[in-house]
Amino acid sequence: MTAPLLQLNSVNKSFGPIDVLHDISIEVKAGEVLCLLGDNGAGKSTLIRLLSGVHKPTSGEMLMNGKPVSFENPREASDHGIATVHQFGGTFPLMSIGRSFFVGAEPTKRWGPFEVFDRKKANEIAVREMRQLGITRITDGDRLVGGLSGGERQALAIARAVHFGASVLILDEPTAALGVKEAAHVLRIVLQARKKGIAVIFITHQVTHALTVGDHFAVLIRGMKAADFRKGEKTREEVTDLMAGGEAMAGLEAEIESHLH
Amino acid sequence: MTANSIQSPAAEHPAPKGAGPPMASIGNLIRRPETGSFIGLVCVFVFFAIFGGESFLSVSGLASWLNIAAELGIIALPIGLLMIAGHLDLSIGSVIPASSMMVAIVSGHFGLPMPVGIACSLMLGVAVGFLNGYLIIKTDLPSFVVTLGTLFAVAGLTLGISVLVAGSTSVALKSDPISKMIFGDFINGKFEVILLWWIAAMLFVGYILGHSKYGNWILALGGDKVSARNAGIPTDKLNVALYMASGLCAAFVGMCQAILYNSAQVSAGQSFIFNSIIAVVIGGVILTGGYGSVIGIVLGTMTFAIVNQGIYYTGFDANWASLIIGVLLLAAVLLNNSFRAMAISHAAPRVKPKAAP
Amino acid sequence: MKSIPRVLKMAAVAAMLAASATATLAAGPKIFVIGGKADDPFWSRVKKGADDAALVVKAAGGTVTWLGPQNYDNLGPDAAKLIRTALSQKPDAIVGPDWVPEAMDAAFKEVVAAGVPLIIYNSGGMEAAKRLGAQNYVGSEEYVAGMGGGEYFSKAGAKNVLCVNTQPGSTNQESRCKGLADGMAKGGGKSTQLPLPSSSFGNPTAVAQAVKAALLKDKTVDGLITISAGDANSAATGISQAGLVKQVKLGTFDIDPTNLQRIKDGTQLFCIDQQPYLQGYLAVSMLNGYVQYGLKVPTAPILTGPGIVDASNVEATVAGAAAGAR
Repeated sequence: MTAPLLQLNSVNKSFGPIDVLHDISIEVKAGEVLCLLGDNGAGKSTLIRLLSGVHKPTSGEMLMNGKPVSFENPREASDHGIATVHQFGGTFPLMSIGRSFFVGAEPTKRWGPFEVFDRKKANEIAVREMRQLGITRITDGDRLVGGLSGGERQALAIARAVHFGASVLILDEPTAALGVKEAAHVLRIVLQARKKGIAVIFITHQVTHALTVGDHFAVLIRGMKAADFRKGEKTREEVTDLMAGGEAMAGLEAEIESHLH
Repeated sequence: MTANSIQSPAAEHPAPKGAGPPMASIGNLIRRPETGSFIGLVCVFVFFAIFGGESFLSVSGLASWLNIAAELGIIALPIGLLMIAGHLDLSIGSVIPASSMMVAIVSGHFGLPMPVGIACSLMLGVAVGFLNGYLIIKTDLPSFVVTLGTLFAVAGLTLGISVLVAGSTSVALKSDPISKMIFGDFINGKFEVILLWWIAAMLFVGYILGHSKYGNWILALGGDKVSARNAGIPTDKLNVALYMASGLCAAFVGMCQAILYNSAQVSAGQSFIFNSIIAVVIGGVILTGGYGSVIGIVLGTMTFAIVNQGIYYTGFDANWASLIIGVLLLAAVLLNNSFRAMAISHAAPRVKPKAAP
Repeated sequence: MKSIPRVLKMAAVAAMLAASATATLAAGPKIFVIGGKADDPFWSRVKKGADDAALVVKAAGGTVTWLGPQNYDNLGPDAAKLIRTALSQKPDAIVGPDWVPEAMDAAFKEVVAAGVPLIIYNSGGMEAAKRLGAQNYVGSEEYVAGMGGGEYFSKAGAKNVLCVNTQPGSTNQESRCKGLADGMAKGGGKSTQLPLPSSSFGNPTAVAQAVKAALLKDKTVDGLITISAGDANSAATGISQAGLVKQVKLGTFDIDPTNLQRIKDGTQLFCIDQQPYLQGYLAVSMLNGYVQYGLKVPTAPILTGPGIVDASNVEATVAGAAAGAR
C-alpha cells in the first residue's frame, strides 16, 4: 500500500466555544478521488479551509507524504502542492484568459531594458492547457474569463492548478451551479486529473456526481465522519439516506412498524 | 454516464485552421470598452466643433482643453490604477493645494532655492500617499473612509500652517527661470509644459498596466483580493505603492500650478477629486475594480476636458454648462457599459456540431 | 431603421447651418466679459449690467459672452484660463478683473499684445489698468472704500474691527482690509484680518461658525466687516449665535436686500456700495462704443464707488435692490 499523499488524523476544529469538526480522520492517495459528501452545515467548508491553509486545526495533525505539516496561510499550502478550486470566484471574470491563468506567475520577456509581460506566451499556454482538458470552444486567450460558462471556468481553474504542479486538488462543489452537460464535462476533467496522478478531494452534496468519479467516500454529518466506504460498497439510495441522517429515520420507521404489528 | 455523451480530448479535435483570422481581432477591437470611450470622445468633439465654431477648432482652442486634460490627466492615471485595484483616493483634493502651498511657502515666503521647495512639495505628496496606504492595509477600512479622513486632516493642516506661517491662505511665488521652464511655462505661448509630463506619464503607466507583470497584479487585486493574495501577489506592498504614486502625482500637479500661476491657494484642489473619478469612469474603468486601461483613462480625461472647456466656446449661457456636462458624462458612461457587456458576452466563432453517426 | 441615419444627417446639417448663420450675422462686436459666478448675488448684479449693455451690442449684430469660473477655489489660475479662452475666440474686446495679479497679469498682457482692447474692472484699480496697458479701469477704489469703512466704524465708536476675508490673495479684498486698518488707525482704533479659505466664500455655515468662534475667542472685538453681502448674512448669524449683537457692530462691502433690511431694523451699521451694476454696464458700453465708433472716455478711472449706505439713505437703495440692480 502506498502512503497517502494527504492525511488528516483526529483533527478537531473549534471557533471559540463552537465545535465545528470532531475527530476527522481522512486520507487520500495519489491518483485517487476522495469524495467528501455532506449536506449543508455538515462542516465541509471548514474542512476545506483547513486543508487549504486558511485555518489551522485546533488539535490533531495533518500529514503530507507521511510528514506532519502545518500551514500558516493559503500561500504555504499552495507551495506544498495543494491547490483549491472554489465554487465561485478565483478566476477574475474581467481579466483575459491568459492573464487570469498566470496571475502571480506572469511569464515575461525582455524588450530592450524593460521586462514585458509575455501576452502571447501566456495566451498560448492557457489555451493549450484548456484544450487538453477538452475545452475546444476557446481559441483566443485574450477573451475575457467572464464570457466563459461556469463549466469552462472550472476547467480553467483546474487546468491552472494542474499546470502549476498541484499534487492535491481540492474541488469545492464544482458541479453545484452547472447544468447536466457542463457537469458531465467537469467530471470528465476530474477523471483526467486523477489519471495524471493527482490526488483529488471532491466536495459535494450531489450523490450522483460523487458516485461517478469517486474511488473513496466519506460522509460528514454535523462535523463528524458518519461513514467511510470505498466504491461499490453502498448504493445510491443508501448514501442519500446516510447524508440526510436517513439511517436514523429508517431505523425509527422500522421500530414504529414493528410496534404496530 | 456513457462515453458518447462526453467530448473526447483535444487530440481528436485539432484547432480549426486559421482560428484567429484578422476579422476576429477586429471584432475583438470593436467590443473593447475603450472603443466606447473613443466613440464618446469623437461625439463630444464633434458636438463642440459644431456649436463652438472655428475658435474651438483653432490651435488656441485645442490648447485650452489640452492644458486642462494634462493637469487632470497626470492625476487621473494613478487614480485610475487605484480604482482598477479596487480603491479610491479622495485625499488628492487636499494634497494638491498642500503641495502648492508647500513650494510657495518654502521658496516664495521663506525664499529658499526652488529645488528645495520642489523637493519638499513632492515628498509631502509621497508621505501622504504612504500614510493612506499604510492605514488601509493595517485597519482594513474601506479606502473611501480612510482617504476621506486624510482629505480633511491634510486640508486642516494646510489651512492652519499656512495662516500660522504666512499669515494668509494665499501665497505668492516667484520662480527661477529654469524651474519655470521645466514645470510651469508655455510652449509656443499656448501649450502648458505639463502637457509633455502628461505624455511621459501616460507612456510609463501604460507600460506598467498593460505590459508588465505589475499591471496583471493590479488587475488581479481589483478583481478578487483574496485570490490575488493566495496567488502570491504582495498585495500590501502593491497597495502602498499605488497610494504613494497617487500622492506623488497630486503633489506634482499642485507644484506645477504654483509655478505656472505664481501663486498658491489653500483650497485649490477640491474639484479634482470628482473630476478625476469622472474622467476615469468615462474611460471604461469599472468603479468596483478589476478592469481598466491607460488608453481608456486618457480618452476619458480628454473627453472630460473637451466638455469642461468647450462650453465656453459655444456661447451658451454659463448657467447651462453644468447641466450639459452632467448629461454628456452620463451618456458617455452608459455607452461604455454597453461596450463592456458586449466584450464579456462575445461568443467565439461556433464550431458546427458533427452529425451523429 | 433607414430613417434614423437620415434624421441624424438632417440634424447635423441644420446645426451646421445654424452655426454658420450666427457666424455670418455677427457683424457687430464680439465682446467677452470675465467675471464671477453668475449665481453669486454680487456678480449677478454685474452681469445684469453687462446684459443690459449687451442689448445695444446685440442690436448691432454683436455678442457679449460671460465667462465665469465654476467655483472660487482656485481663483487666479481659473480666471487666467478664462482670459486665454476668450482670447482664443478672436474677440473684438475683453473686460476682465485683475483679482490675482501674479496669476492673471500674464494672460492680460497677451490680450493687449494681440491688439485686443481691454478694460479692467472690479479689481486692480487704475494701477492695474496702467500696468497692463488697458484702456481704463471701471470700478471702485477698494483701498479708499476700506478707509471710508474704517473711518465710519471709528465715528460709530468701534475700537477693534475684524475684517473677514473669504478671498485672500485677491487684490481688491486685500486692499479693502488694508484700507480698513488704516482708516481705523486714523480714528485711534485697530483692525485685524480673519482670512478664511476661498472655498468658504458663499458658504453660510462655514463663515457663520468661523465668525462665532473668532468673536468668542477675542472679546475685545466690537466691529466686524465682511467682503460680500452674502458673507455678511452669515456673519450676522454668527454674531447672534455668539450672543454679541449689542457689542459687535456689523458692516459689509457690497449690498443685498437682506443687508438693507438689517440696516432698516438697526441690527447692521452700514454697507459700502460699489454699484456693481454700473461696472458691468459701463465697461461693456464703453468697449462697444470704442469698437464700433472709436469712442474713448478721457476720464480714467471711472469710479463706481465707494458709497456708504446706512440708515440715512437706505430707503432709496431698497427699490433698486428689489429690481436686482443693486
